[in-house]
Amino acid sequence: MNGRIPILKLYNCLLISIQWELDDQTALQFQEDLLSKIHETGVGGVVIDLTSVDVIDSFIAKVLGDVVSMSHLMGAKVVLTGIQPAVAITLVELGIHLQDVRTALDLEKGLETLQRELGE
Amino acid sequence: MENATRMIEFIQANRGQLLQEWVEKMSSMDEQKLSTVITDQVYTNVGDEYINILVHDLINQDKQAKNKMRDFSQKLVQLGWNLNFIMDSLMEFSKIMFFHMVGEASEKEQIEFGWAYDKWVTPINKEVLNHYASSWQRTVSLQKIALQELSAPLIPIFDNITVMPLVGTIDTDRAKRIMENLLQGVVKHHAQVVLIDITGVPVVDTMVAHHIIQASEAVRLVGAKCLIVGIRPEIAQTIVNLGINLNQVVTKNSLQKGVAAALEMTNRKIVSVGE
Amino acid sequence: MDNESCVKIITEWDIVAARQLGRNVAKELGFGSVDQARITTAISELARNIYLYAGTGEIEIDRMYELGKCGLKVIASDKGPGIHDIRKVMEDGFTTSGGLGAGLPGVKRLMDEFSITSKVGEGTSIQVVKWLR
Repeated sequence: MNGRIPILKLYNCLLISIQWELDDQTALQFQEDLLSKIHETGVGGVVIDLTSVDVIDSFIAKVLGDVVSMSHLMGAKVVLTGIQPAVAITLVELGIHLQDVRTALDLEKGLETLQRELGE
Repeated sequence: MENATRMIEFIQANRGQLLQEWVEKMSSMDEQKLSTVITDQVYTNVGDEYINILVHDLINQDKQAKNKMRDFSQKLVQLGWNLNFIMDSLMEFSKIMFFHMVGEASEKEQIEFGWAYDKWVTPINKEVLNHYASSWQRTVSLQKIALQELSAPLIPIFDNITVMPLVGTIDTDRAKRIMENLLQGVVKHHAQVVLIDITGVPVVDTMVAHHIIQASEAVRLVGAKCLIVGIRPEIAQTIVNLGINLNQVVTKNSLQKGVAAALEMTNRKIVSVGE
Repeated sequence: MDNESCVKIITEWDIVAARQLGRNVAKELGFGSVDQARITTAISELARNIYLYAGTGEIEIDRMYELGKCGLKVIASDKGPGIHDIRKVMEDGFTTSGGLGAGLPGVKRLMDEFSITSKVGEGTSIQVVKWLR
């Protein structure tokens, strides 16, 4: 129903801004697209901005967590940015911890974090 | 109803004496009297009002009667009389009535009286006690609201560093509000580090620790770091003794150390300007 | 106006539909943004469970008005295989789908009231309620 999620390249990073409610298929397609793009471009960093996401249930959380691990395996560091307070509280209460996942307040801070880590 | 009329007439006829006996009884029963300055006048007033309610009741089972009962209950709440004492006092009055009206009568008459009096007075007493109970409930919920209003403010102290001092007991309800407030504040102030100061939290049990851990996790998800400061020695002992695992959470023992750590995390430090 | 609405769960898209419905009703009733997220996520979890384990089922969302309180009730029901050991399923960390399996204990934490009935071979019904504070 919704199209694929657009992935933009900015220097050594990929930027993704998730603009609408993720349904299962879109989420899985996104996983695939991101990994191919990392392979294609060889970037070292990925920022996934979740500012416009209102709901993250356990499935979506798993997909995101997997995306981070899979990207790591392919040599790219990932930062999740802009997780809304309501979403953060719900995830924590559900018992989903998303450990080992870098987070940052917004796109800007996310890029800064990556730049520091990638030593640019 | 005829019985009730008889009783009311009796009460009206012997009011003075009944009241006096009752007041004496209440006064001797009341343990609180030893600590506060309650004169017999208070008992007299209360007793008087109750008798008014009884007398009034038969004549008008109406709104006015209900209002009188509500006012009476409210007065009892304000006086701070506890439930036991109130119930005992009401029972004392029935005993007094009993002795006066049928103390010398036959057993049959006594039993009849007992039933009749009970039937008449029980609904009245029930109404009074109901009002008393809801009055208490109202007070409790007002206090609860007052506690919730004891807000936990977020104070930005440096660029990107915010402090949240927690004061008072943290129950689940309050914890939820605090967490929402905390996260929204982090986003608003663009905080990179949040210092939660629990110096003012008297008790940290498993539930409170759970809330604190949840809050720091949520802060991390939103994109900031969380430090807990102000853990008093007693609290540290309790936490370890209860087996609570705070390893996931970064702690510093004082706000000062916490601030220094926060500055370091954001690539800054405080230096003296040369004299 | 209808006090209840239903979404049949047959395809993955229905999970999204159930979420949307839940969010709309929650917003209508006046729940704050955090409670909206809790309710919507709980519905998503329940709908997903139906989809994963029972194949098909139904999510019913009711507006509740009781003793001056206002609330939202969700009834997730299916005619699936049923749950063998309810107590086990309510233990934290228990998951059969290999997923993060936030599962039922998580849903219980998000809501104010939680009840579950299940009969092996007949199906499962889960009821949760969130009250407006």
